[in-house]
Amino acid sequence: MTWGARQSGGHFAQVIEMESNKNCVGWRLANLAILGFLAVACIDTLTGLEHWPFGSYPMYSLLYSEQRSWLRLYGLTDRGEVLLRGERDFAPFDEARLVMALERLQSADGGKQKLDEALRNLMRLYDRRQARGLPLRALRLYAVRWVLRPGLESFQPPQERILVAQATRDDAEAGR
Amino acid sequence: MIVESWRRYWFTPATAEHLALVRVIGCGLLFLIYLPLDDRGWTQVSPVFWMPISAFRIFAGPPGNAALIGVLQVLWKISLFTSAIGLVSRCSMATAAALGFFLLGLPNCFGKIHHLDGFPVLLLIILALSRCSDALTVDGALRRNPEVRTEASWQYRWPVRLAQTLFLLVFFAAGYAKLRNGGLAWMTAVNMRSIWLGELYTHTPPTALGGLLAKSTWLSQFAAVATVIVELSALPALFVRRLRVLTLVGLFVMQVFIALMLGVYFTPHLVGYALFLPWERYYRSLWPLSRPPLAPSFPWWSLRTTRRPISNRFSQR
Repeated sequence: MTWGARQSGGHFAQVIEMESNKNCVGWRLANLAILGFLAVACIDTLTGLEHWPFGSYPMYSLLYSEQRSWLRLYGLTDRGEVLLRGERDFAPFDEARLVMALERLQSADGGKQKLDEALRNLMRLYDRRQARGLPLRALRLYAVRWVLRPGLESFQPPQERILVAQATRDDAEAGR
Repeated sequence: MIVESWRRYWFTPATAEHLALVRVIGCGLLFLIYLPLDDRGWTQVSPVFWMPISAFRIFAGPPGNAALIGVLQVLWKISLFTSAIGLVSRCSMATAAALGFFLLGLPNCFGKIHHLDGFPVLLLIILALSRCSDALTVDGALRRNPEVRTEASWQYRWPVRLAQTLFLLVFFAAGYAKLRNGGLAWMTAVNMRSIWLGELYTHTPPTALGGLLAKSTWLSQFAAVATVIVELSALPALFVRRLRVLTLVGLFVMQVFIALMLGVYFTPHLVGYALFLPWERYYRSLWPLSRPPLAPSFPWWSLRTTRRPISNRFSQR
C-alpha cells in the first residue's frame, strides 16, 4: 500500500488501533502526558495563576487610563541628574523587569529598607558598567507620571515626579 | 465518538521524519536565538530582588557562582546543538530540557515573569519525552544501516500536535486574560491608545509608529478589536485548518507590530510558528528519493537505538 493510499480515514483508525495495542504502556503514557500538559495550561488560563513555564499570559490585559505612572531611576552626577535605563545601565535587568521588581519591593513589608538595599545593589551593578557612563554620586528612584495624548514624544519629561528612595555613594560602599 | 476524535487528533500516524524535522528545526532555531543568552549577571544581583517562581522556590536565594552558571549555559547551548543534529540524542534532549528550564526560568525569579521563554521550555520538554531521535540523527548515521527504515506511527504525531496546541493556547490565554481582567472595555480606542503611548515612555520601541497610529481613533479601535479576535481565534484554530492559517498569519503580524510599536520582541515564538510549516514536504522535495520509513518495534521510552529491518508489520499481523 502506498503512503498516499494509507491516508484514507478508515485506514488511519485501524492503524492507530493496531499500533496502540502493540504498545499499550507507551500509549497510556502519551495520553497521560497530553492530559497533564493540557490540564495545567487550562487551569492557568482559566484562573489567572502562573505555573511557569505555563502561564495565563496577562501582559497588557488591564485597562489603561490616559495617565501613565511608572518608576524611574535617575543618577546624580557632577553634571546633574541623568535618566538611567534598565537594559543599558543595570544589566542583567531590563527596564520592565526592574521597575516591576522595585514596585513589588515598594509594596512589600519593610519596603523602605528593601528599596534602600535594592538601590545600593543597583548602584554596584551600574559601577560594573561605569566605563560607559558618568560616575554616580547618588541613585534616586522617582515615581513619575505622564498625561498621555497623541503627538507626545518619548523624550518628553514627566508631568509629575516624586522622590521615592535614594542611595548615595557612601551607602553603596558601606553595603559592599 | 469522542475517543475516536481524540485518537484521530493526537495519534494519526506520522513518519519519524515528521517529528525529527521538528527537532532539527526547533532545537536549531532555539540554539541560534539563545546563543547570546548570558545569565551570569544574575549572580551579582542582591537577594533582596529574589522572588522565586515555580520550581525555583526550592532555592533559598539567587545563585552566587557565576562560573557555574557559565558552565551550565555553555552545556545548554551545546546540548541544543547536539539535539538538533541528533548526536547523543536522548542525553542531549534531556539536558536541553532540564538546563533550559533552569536558565530560562532564572531571570523570571527577579521581579517579573516575561512570557517569551515559557513556550520554548515546554517544547524542549515535549521533545525530550518523545521519540524525536528516531530519524535524521548523527547517531543513526554512525550506527545503523542507512537502508533500515522505521514505519509511520502514532508515536511521531502527538508530540508535534501537543506543541502546536500549547503554542496556540498561549495566544488564547492572552486573549482570554484581556476579557477577564479588562472586560469589553479593553477593546476600546482609548485603552489601545494608552497602551501605545504609555510604552513610548516606559520601553524603548524601535519606531515612533505607536505615537503615529495613536492619532487615529479608528485605527486604535480596529487594532483593539482585532487583537482580541485574533487571539481568541487561536482556540478554534486548533481544529479548523483553514482558520489556523489565518490565525497564525494574524498572530505573526500582531507580534511584528508589537515589536515595532512597543519594543517587546517575541523572537523565541518563531519556533512556535515554525511548528506549523510543512517541513516534511520541503525535506522530500530536497531529497526526493527518501520515503516514509517504517516504525520501530520497541516502546518509545526504550533506550534501544537499533532498528528492525524494513518490513511491513501490519501485513505480518
